[in-house]
Amino acid sequence: MIKLQALNKTYPGVVPLHVLKDINLEIRKGELVSIMGASGSGKSTLLNILGILDNYDSGEYWLDGVLIKDLGENRSADLRNRMIGFVFQSFNLISYKNALENVALPLFYQGVSRRKRNALAMEQLERMGLADRAHHLPGELSGGQKQRVAIARALVTNPSIILADEPTGALDSHTSKEVTEVFRRLNDDGMTIVIVTHDPGVGAATNRIIRIVDGEIANGNA
Amino acid sequence: MRTGFFDIENWREIGTTLARNKTRTFLTAFGIFWGTAILAIMLGGADGFRGIMNRNFAGLATNLGVMYSSNRTMSYMGFNKGSGWDITIDDVEGIRRVAPAIESISPVTSRQVTAAVGMRSKSITATGAGSEYAAMVSPVVYDGRMLNENDVQNTRKVAVMGRNVANELFPEGDAVGKYVSFNGVYFQIAGIVGQLSEASISSTLDDSVLIPITAMRQVFNVGNKVDFVVYTAPAGHSPKENEASIRRYMSVRHSIHPDDDGAVGFQNIAELFDMIEKLFMGLTLLAGFVGAGSLMAGIIGVGNIMWIVVKERTHEFGIRRAIGARASDITRQVLSESVLLTLVSGTCGVCFAALVLAGLDYGTADPNLGMAGFEMGFGTAVGIVLVFFVLGSLAGTLPALRAMRIKPIEAIREK
Repeated sequence: MIKLQALNKTYPGVVPLHVLKDINLEIRKGELVSIMGASGSGKSTLLNILGILDNYDSGEYWLDGVLIKDLGENRSADLRNRMIGFVFQSFNLISYKNALENVALPLFYQGVSRRKRNALAMEQLERMGLADRAHHLPGELSGGQKQRVAIARALVTNPSIILADEPTGALDSHTSKEVTEVFRRLNDDGMTIVIVTHDPGVGAATNRIIRIVDGEIANGNA
Repeated sequence: MRTGFFDIENWREIGTTLARNKTRTFLTAFGIFWGTAILAIMLGGADGFRGIMNRNFAGLATNLGVMYSSNRTMSYMGFNKGSGWDITIDDVEGIRRVAPAIESISPVTSRQVTAAVGMRSKSITATGAGSEYAAMVSPVVYDGRMLNENDVQNTRKVAVMGRNVANELFPEGDAVGKYVSFNGVYFQIAGIVGQLSEASISSTLDDSVLIPITAMRQVFNVGNKVDFVVYTAPAGHSPKENEASIRRYMSVRHSIHPDDDGAVGFQNIAELFDMIEKLFMGLTLLAGFVGAGSLMAGIIGVGNIMWIVVKERTHEFGIRRAIGARASDITRQVLSESVLLTLVSGTCGVCFAALVLAGLDYGTADPNLGMAGFEMGFGTAVGIVLVFFVLGSLAGTLPALRAMRIKPIEAIREK
């Protein structure tokens, strides 16, 4: 599903910062993987590259058989829209749209009709057990509910992978467990999921932990 | 375009974001509203004032020239500098013969007389004129008729009475055919007249009495003397073209030095009209300038607000980009907001201006002269709104471009 070959990334500057050094990585379809590492280790940069939010300097990145390299702005946007579901630490829901509208938004950018995207969004909310919260604004939801809305939004385009950036970072331990459980369940349904996390508990719940130290993968397999 | 422009969600998005900050939206919209309203009112108002001015001259020939006598400013042929001279009745036919661009010409001589009907009397101005005078002042004939050639040729003692004079001397009405005495001499009333224009050559027709110049000379003992001569030029000519030949002719007949410009005076109504026309052109320009200024201020206001909006929503646009919005989707959203804002408030402004102008038009309407024309053409109104449409887009462009540069990575950067 994901294949990185000799991938390098340097942030230019007075003192150039070589954040990713010759990364080789393969994540197969249906895996539940966590990427762990200290702040500044390069794991966020790696996630940005995996999410087609950032470019890299050399090497190759294959996502579901597509070479992600030197893409135009529009092409990246389309690929993000169709192939990747994002889950963020701070949920990143749009505050003046209700849960249903938030979940339906990626479909809006695909040009799906209103009726159809609302039906699909409702389906995902039901899957997250939030059907009764569909018309609530994010401000009216608890942290766990918000994150489940965000997961529903990530799922609504039926993406190739889910990329989660510290999905439990803003949640208490009880809710963290709940959300982790949601990811496990999705993985059981066959979804490929990559979670960047600090939380060893979350890491332990995944099938494989990739540790990044100073821009290099410390252990290929766990 | 993947996301339909007419997709209701597009409009809901715009509506929600505009409604989210009602005060700011309202103030921005008001800036535009006021800008368009002022521009439209200024332009329409300038037209209206021009209309009022033109109305004041309604009926008066616009290619009218006047010649009058003045004291000599140069000694000549035994006449000292400062000595006076008089235009005579014979000069009129002479001028008609020598001047190149004369359509109608008439001598005018006025005297203050006492008009009396039975026990009622009133001091009025009696104007003696030729038969062609009628064509030059375009009177409104309320009853009877205007002076004609027959009256002048046969020295008939007839009078064409101003409406106001008639109302006073004949309160019961039906003055035509009745007699009135001027300084004891009886004249028969041929017609009742008034004038449309506020401007007049001597006294207004409404407040004076018009009699044949021939009768004037005979009855009031004015001799050959004529106060002044009025003439019009045919279409395509200016009354000014006659001045040189008239001056030459007068200098020969009245012993005036050929270079004595001061002794023969001219007034050219056409020049006056030209001046007024230029004045109003200037006024229209000024109105356009001031209006355009207030409009610019409004537009800049929109640009300013959109700039702030984009800055505020950077994070949100980042989220949208991360979940698959193209840069153009974001740009279009920002542009739609500023265009909608300008379009709606601009249209309101133009409508408001139309109401104000209609009110002004109604308020200044005259029963005889009609509306002054405080109005703007439909084309002008549409033009103003179109200009706003374009300027609104321009105002939104800079912020929209800024929004376009927002990287999706903004979304996951910690706030």
